[in-house]
Amino acid sequence: MAFWLHPKYYKTIQYYFMKDLGAPALFWINQKQKKRRTRRHSPYLGPPLQCARRLREIMTRHYYLARFAKSAKPVAWVTSGAPVELLHVFNFYTIYPENHGAICGSRRMGPELCNQAEREGYSQDLCSYARIDLGHLFSGKTPAGKLPKPDVLFCSNNICQTVLYWFKELSYYWHIPLILFDTPYNFLGIHEKDIQYMCSQFQEMIPELERISGHGFSLSRFQEIIGIARETSLTWGRVLETMKHSPAPMTIFEAFVHIAPIVSLRGLPVCLDYYRILLKELEERVEKGIAAIKNERRRLMWDNIAIWFKLRDWAELFAERGYNFVAATYTNAWAETIHHLNERHPFESMAKAYSLVILNNNLNHRLKLMEKIIQEYKIDGLVIHSDRSCKPYSIGQYGLKRLLTERLGIKSVLIESDMTDFRVYSEDQARINLEAFFEALEN
Amino acid sequence: MTRKEYLIKQKDEKGRKLFGIFPAQYPREILWAMNVVPVEIWDPPLKVSHANAHVQPYICSVVKLGLELILQGKCDDLDGFLFPHTCDSIQNLASIVYNYLGLEKPCYFFYHPKAPYRDSSRLYYLEQLKVLVSRMEKQLGPLDLSVLKQCIERGQQVASVLRDLYGLRARGELKASNSEFYQVIRQGEYFHPDDFLPLLEEFLAASKGQADSGPSVILSGILPNPMGILTFLDNLGIRVAYDDFMIGSRRLLIPPSDLPDPFEQLTESYFRMPPCTTRASPIAQRRDYLFNMIDDATGVKGVIFYMVKFCEPEWFDIPNLVDELKTREIPALVLEIELNQEFSGQVATRLEAFMEMIGI
Ligand code: SF4
Ligand code: SF4
Repeated sequence: MAFWLHPKYYKTIQYYFMKDLGAPALFWINQKQKKRRTRRHSPYLGPPLQCARRLREIMTRHYYLARFAKSAKPVAWVTSGAPVELLHVFNFYTIYPENHGAICGSRRMGPELCNQAEREGYSQDLCSYARIDLGHLFSGKTPAGKLPKPDVLFCSNNICQTVLYWFKELSYYWHIPLILFDTPYNFLGIHEKDIQYMCSQFQEMIPELERISGHGFSLSRFQEIIGIARETSLTWGRVLETMKHSPAPMTIFEAFVHIAPIVSLRGLPVCLDYYRILLKELEERVEKGIAAIKNERRRLMWDNIAIWFKLRDWAELFAERGYNFVAATYTNAWAETIHHLNERHPFESMAKAYSLVILNNNLNHRLKLMEKIIQEYKIDGLVIHSDRSCKPYSIGQYGLKRLLTERLGIKSVLIESDMTDFRVYSEDQARINLEAFFEALEN
Repeated sequence: MTRKEYLIKQKDEKGRKLFGIFPAQYPREILWAMNVVPVEIWDPPLKVSHANAHVQPYICSVVKLGLELILQGKCDDLDGFLFPHTCDSIQNLASIVYNYLGLEKPCYFFYHPKAPYRDSSRLYYLEQLKVLVSRMEKQLGPLDLSVLKQCIERGQQVASVLRDLYGLRARGELKASNSEFYQVIRQGEYFHPDDFLPLLEEFLAASKGQADSGPSVILSGILPNPMGILTFLDNLGIRVAYDDFMIGSRRLLIPPSDLPDPFEQLTESYFRMPPCTTRASPIAQRRDYLFNMIDDATGVKGVIFYMVKFCEPEWFDIPNLVDELKTREIPALVLEIELNQEFSGQVATRLEAFMEMIGI
């Protein structure tokens, strides 16, 4: 009698085989090749973080395994601010198009992919993460190998409404469900009725997620995941706090890269383990007096998303002058509210944690937060990235700049750019503005 | 009477308060019932200068003009502001006005749910109405529910005449030109319903009659500004048979509800409104809405998307809507505009080319 396995089981076996053997092997080969192409290390920067290797391994594996996830696991595409803890209960493999956009941005693929979307009629004025994602959809191009087609789109408008418009497109193209976690904006506070509304939404989406994933909801599993996510967020917060030390053991440019697991793998043990290792390394650096840049003379803060295509250049440009970025509103976002998570009140605490994030909060909150960071991290200067793509992050920055200067006398500069689409970035203009800023910092 | 004269009269003679209302969806009946005239701020006829110090060049002109109006001190007669949670840009504008500008005027916010397909959204919307009322009561005194019911009734009468007007226009049974039509319906952006209803009825009575038997188009987008597009179409003898404007059919054609509780009535009507990007309506709903318009109107030859630059909610939908129209062999033209700019020769050329293509 012939013995048949349902194709789904082949996929599952293949997935776990690749997870345990294929991905580690691939990473080993990659590392070998990398060693042969050793990169020049800037003389102004301190020694690179040892953890960087582990980070690459985790993220490479995550994207590599994504190719085998389809049919082995339910797949969800998720926005960076969505309460992914809930999806892990149903065993979803999660892909973050924004993180993918950042990867494309740092590989300088932004304009190419945006162009693909623009050719299909999408305006150049739309968020470039969305355009990159749509460009990938139309062309299949990605530096990540291959992204699995999702079974569901999971979106929260706590970071912007843009993700909702964008995911509506994906839902339309693929005829797949879009589940929205709608978070009332914090104009005057998040109140009991808002929390109830968000909790009701969780109750409404659970049966949908059960149906799509084929897995039942387990409260104890959910609580366990929430516990991990909370601990991870706290650990990430402690990672960032090591930069309060002067000289700081890490630069914000490194933090922009090391943020990837908490964005993409939040709630999974691998993520928590990673930040524990990173924290240990940073604490050791502080103890031994190992600084991220050789001669830290001024401490800076960054506002808004990173300019991914300038990350390396700017790390050197600032380090050369003894300027170190030690804080950013962006990296802080994943430490600021997730600690509200509480296993005993999983839904309520999740509603709170996710609706109070920086971009769902009024500008007064942002102003106060920045004042606090400036004081706690002993910041000398502020670089504000006015990100053409990101309206919720950028509208109000002119006022923030003015008020922070008035209240704290802080030196600041505003750079007009985009996080990935360098067609709207002017190197000359940025240089002129930065030179004036550098001069102000020295006086 | 100018808009300003009308509003001053409302204040001085009728003892009504004036609230500046930013786009787009809000429960106007509640304001009427609290003796407030909602004065909508879409496209004040100003040149942007002061607002440039507060918002970046890549922000839409609805936001910039609204802010400009405040910064130029032209809102002194207003007694408060209301900001519905329309999009990221209005959201942050609200925060700029409330948190940074230090205006000594009450600001109200209205969050409407973005997932209009669940029970929780309905319940939340209803509660948001009550939250808004309880906040406004502190400034305006208690809301009388029987007055609210009357105002809802009045709103339904307005919507009913508007539906008649839209219907006649779609069938080519309204003589008024495109410009006249929109000039009249846009007065509802600041008229009290007691004045707007007779105005609409008068307009309907005077304009009923066969329109010139020309071809027609459908306009979609936020609003018809610059008005030049309407006169341009008038000059070519083209009727705007229907619109999918945010200032137009999407907000004005409020479906009636006869539920006994006024808050439930408002909620039911809201969830039965035509699809709108600012409520995150699915693309398929918007497509079907457009198709229905095309089917219901006579002589529709094409759809013109009249798009405000930098308006994310609207621009995302465009490629799919254009494609869907193509499948029905309905040509579509997408025009990008900045409010209050001259109706440019370039736009006119593109319109002419489009008209030629559709055989007009
Ligand atoms: S608009 Fe801003 S928050 Fe939203 S996806 Fe784009 S970059 Fe992210
Ligand atoms: S035009 Fe678009 S972006 Fe501007 S306020 Fe209106 S909905 Fe928002």
